[in-house]
Amino acid sequence: MPRKLDPASQLPLTPVVLHILLALAGGERHGYAIAQEVEETTSGQVRMGPGTLYGSIQRMLAAALIEETPGRKRAADDDERRRYYRMTAFGRRVLELELERLAAVVRLARSRDLLRDPRTA
Amino acid sequence: MTRRGLAARAYRAALLLFPRDFRTRFGGDMYAFAAERMTLARRRGRAAYLRESISLAGDLIATATREWTSRAPSPITHVHLPALRPRDDMDILIRDIRFALRSLRRRPGFTLVASLTLALAIGANTAIFSVVNAVLIRPLPYHDADRLAMIWGTQGAQGGQGVVYADYLDWRTRNHTFSDMGVFRGQSVNLTGGETPERLIGNFVTASFFRVIGAKAYRGRLFTDAETEVATKAPVAVMSYECWQTRFGANPRTLGSTVVINGTPFTIVGITTPAMPVPVFTSDVHLPIGYYPNAHGFDRGTRGVWVLGRLKPGVTLDAARRDMAATAKQLAQEYPATNAGTGADVVSLKETLVGPERGRLLIMLGAVIIVLLIACANVANLQLARGASRARELSVRAAIGAGRGRIARQLLTENVVLSLIGGSAGLAAGAGLTKALVALIGPQLPVEPPAITLDTTVLAFTFAISIGTGVLFGVAPAWQASRVNLNDMLRSRTRGTSTLTRNTLAVVQLALSLALLASAGLLTRSLIALEHVDPGLDASHVLTAQFRLSAAKYDSPDKIWAMFDRTIHEIRAIPGVESAALVRASPFSQNGEAYSAFVEGKPTVKIGDAPQMLLNIVTPGYFSTMHIPLRTGRDVAETDRAGTLPVIVVNESFAKAMWPHEPALGKRVKVNGDEWLTVVGVVGDTKHFTLHEAQLFQGYVPHAQRPQVFTSIVARTRGDPLAVAKSVREAIWRVDRNQPVWRVQTMEQDISGVVESKKTMMWLTGLFAIVALLVATVGIYGVLSYTMSQRTHELGVRVALGADSGRVVAMVVGEGARLVGVAVGIGLVAAYVAARLLRGELFGVGASDVITFATVSLVLSGVAILACYIPAKRASRVDPMVALRAE
Repeated sequence: MPRKLDPASQLPLTPVVLHILLALAGGERHGYAIAQEVEETTSGQVRMGPGTLYGSIQRMLAAALIEETPGRKRAADDDERRRYYRMTAFGRRVLELELERLAAVVRLARSRDLLRDPRTA
Repeated sequence: MTRRGLAARAYRAALLLFPRDFRTRFGGDMYAFAAERMTLARRRGRAAYLRESISLAGDLIATATREWTSRAPSPITHVHLPALRPRDDMDILIRDIRFALRSLRRRPGFTLVASLTLALAIGANTAIFSVVNAVLIRPLPYHDADRLAMIWGTQGAQGGQGVVYADYLDWRTRNHTFSDMGVFRGQSVNLTGGETPERLIGNFVTASFFRVIGAKAYRGRLFTDAETEVATKAPVAVMSYECWQTRFGANPRTLGSTVVINGTPFTIVGITTPAMPVPVFTSDVHLPIGYYPNAHGFDRGTRGVWVLGRLKPGVTLDAARRDMAATAKQLAQEYPATNAGTGADVVSLKETLVGPERGRLLIMLGAVIIVLLIACANVANLQLARGASRARELSVRAAIGAGRGRIARQLLTENVVLSLIGGSAGLAAGAGLTKALVALIGPQLPVEPPAITLDTTVLAFTFAISIGTGVLFGVAPAWQASRVNLNDMLRSRTRGTSTLTRNTLAVVQLALSLALLASAGLLTRSLIALEHVDPGLDASHVLTAQFRLSAAKYDSPDKIWAMFDRTIHEIRAIPGVESAALVRASPFSQNGEAYSAFVEGKPTVKIGDAPQMLLNIVTPGYFSTMHIPLRTGRDVAETDRAGTLPVIVVNESFAKAMWPHEPALGKRVKVNGDEWLTVVGVVGDTKHFTLHEAQLFQGYVPHAQRPQVFTSIVARTRGDPLAVAKSVREAIWRVDRNQPVWRVQTMEQDISGVVESKKTMMWLTGLFAIVALLVATVGIYGVLSYTMSQRTHELGVRVALGADSGRVVAMVVGEGARLVGVAVGIGLVAAYVAARLLRGELFGVGASDVITFATVSLVLSGVAILACYIPAKRASRVDPMVALRAE
């Protein structure tokens, strides 16, 4: 991507965007698979409908956080109309920044005894 | 892809709510996603399925709104991401929806009344629209259906005529705008060889007709061109799949077998695909046009057939019309003797089939839309009343920081949620109502009833009007709520919402109801006028039946007449039959042909300008059987036979128009033939096709002089005409065992068939008008009740100061009457506009009929003022102590 983008300008991320990026960190996925993975990894706490998912995907594409993968080889039983997405380098940078930010928040909370370390609980 | 349920189809339809670019990009994936979710949920049971449906609907509405309000910036020009900021619109929307559901649940009474009102109105709209969709919107079931057009013959100023076969042949080779043309003509045919003779609907065609409509063979083949040429016709037949299934038990050996139709053995060479559409009428069997019995050799001058053409790609109807007019003009110059004044007109097949229904359907759609508007106004008023009692809640929310826009938005969301609840119930109601409607008007529609379904278009329509009504009835309350004055609200009890808005809504409801009532009133008066039309004959106690002799068996006029003569004697001998006669086209059966009439001694006119006469063929005794009065001269007689002087009996209108100052008897006319017919009698005028037609010129010639294979029977009976139906059939079978007889029914049934569609429209409009009046009455009652409850204090003071209850009642009713007066004023203007749109459907009553308008205004005022009386009475019973202490 030749564009100059400032990852910090994207912060903070909405939960849905954050979780989509987390799911795509594991490799490219199609839309439904993203939604399924997010639902599973969050034990059903983040559950998105088709509109929410593709609305977010559209905005993330526009922000160059993710991109559609062209000409992917598909398994024989795969629905050929499905579009697949993967994270861009810029997206990865934004995700890292966001996670650092969240980690800082968690550290702050701990230092004020607002959050207990699960291991010591 | 597997067949999915209603929910999946609804989802697909709802995707139309998204902006087009978004939908094209993600619509397919979203649909697959939703379908997968639904499938999974379905496995977990009904409750899970319902939860999933609601969650998907919520997601859809929320995100569709968002895609419209914050259209994503183009990825190339935009790098900022305002939409990714926290607290996005969608979160707010979802929260608003949750909040709305909670708040609706807290007021079950209100929610029930409002959603039922909406469900009824939306359901009625869904039902009517599903018919409109099937008839007017959906393309005809042919490949490239908009390229199909009927080519009608014209004669002088008269359009919509059949076509001369010889002309068709020339049209086909000379035109430049049609890729192909085909001929067809329906006629009932006699199928013999089974246990009883049967009547089938035959369709006489050229091979090209099948190509034009894109027909395919399910078994065997269709016709070849040579088989349908008149010169080289072959005795082959193509059967419809449905006829093969029902009459031949789907027997595989039907193909290749021989059936005897109209006395000629035909080999069945093919069976068409199931549910193959054929324009204009449903046919059982297709036969080569060369066997069409009425075509008189297909010579020039005989308008025997109908022509359907397929336009070349990109050719407009106008271009085709010009092309065909030019072609017909050429022919008129080449064959002046037969083609003078003959032209051609091109009408799209769709217009031919559905044109006559359009006005009626749009009127019904207009009526239900008015009901919906009234329901909207009503629910808005309910909301406003609620808004007043919620004002404190809203001001608290405003006090803790909710912006005005935010509150308005919350209320609007609540209304859309409410209307979607009403819409879902309305969809269910609509499915039921559609079935009822199809049962009611299905037979009058030019589409097969199974075609009337809640398809994607209907679902999208219902969804759209649900959202639309929510916005419509939500705007006023939301706007009002956003204007609350914080200080006033928190400090004191509310003085309530603006009476102006509420009064306006009540007036709108009443005015719209008045327009609908007036329309229903005008239609009712038309129908009454129609039923009081004197048809010129006595249709009670008359049985009618039709039959057509096989032209192959009865191949000479003598044979036909001998058969008719024996039949009529057999029928007259049936006990219970007072008198009977044969008539080629019995009144109101929709049969009958008009021909140019030429009067001896009058200057010769061009063919196109000659008066048209409805020519019928009768046996002696027809006029006395039908109670048609003989004005002068005599009936046709047994002595008028082949070889004696050709005679004709004409009706009064014709006699008066042709010979205003001299007796008609003894004058001579030429109609449909070269011989002069001498007028021997003049009879009273009768209606023939409809009750509202302008009086036609009529002529009657004796069967014995012009026998034709098709005729009807009319028999006047002493008791119930249907009681002798079986005997009439058997009487014919005594003469010819192989003769099918059909349409055995009373003439009163024929007449009611003629007024049926008008009656249905009147009932439906009347029903909608009554619903509208009820809803509007409840509306004005609500407004006054509310106003009075707000004015308890003032009324208490009045009563304390000595106003008696009569004065209080008069004051409150007077206030209501003022509203009603304004509504009647506006309503009359609306009614006048509506009546002008209805004009084509009116009969015997003007579009600005004073009696109707006055009556409905009185009815509306009466009912509305009665509704005001209840709150007035209540107000007059206010206990001044209670009222004053309440403050």
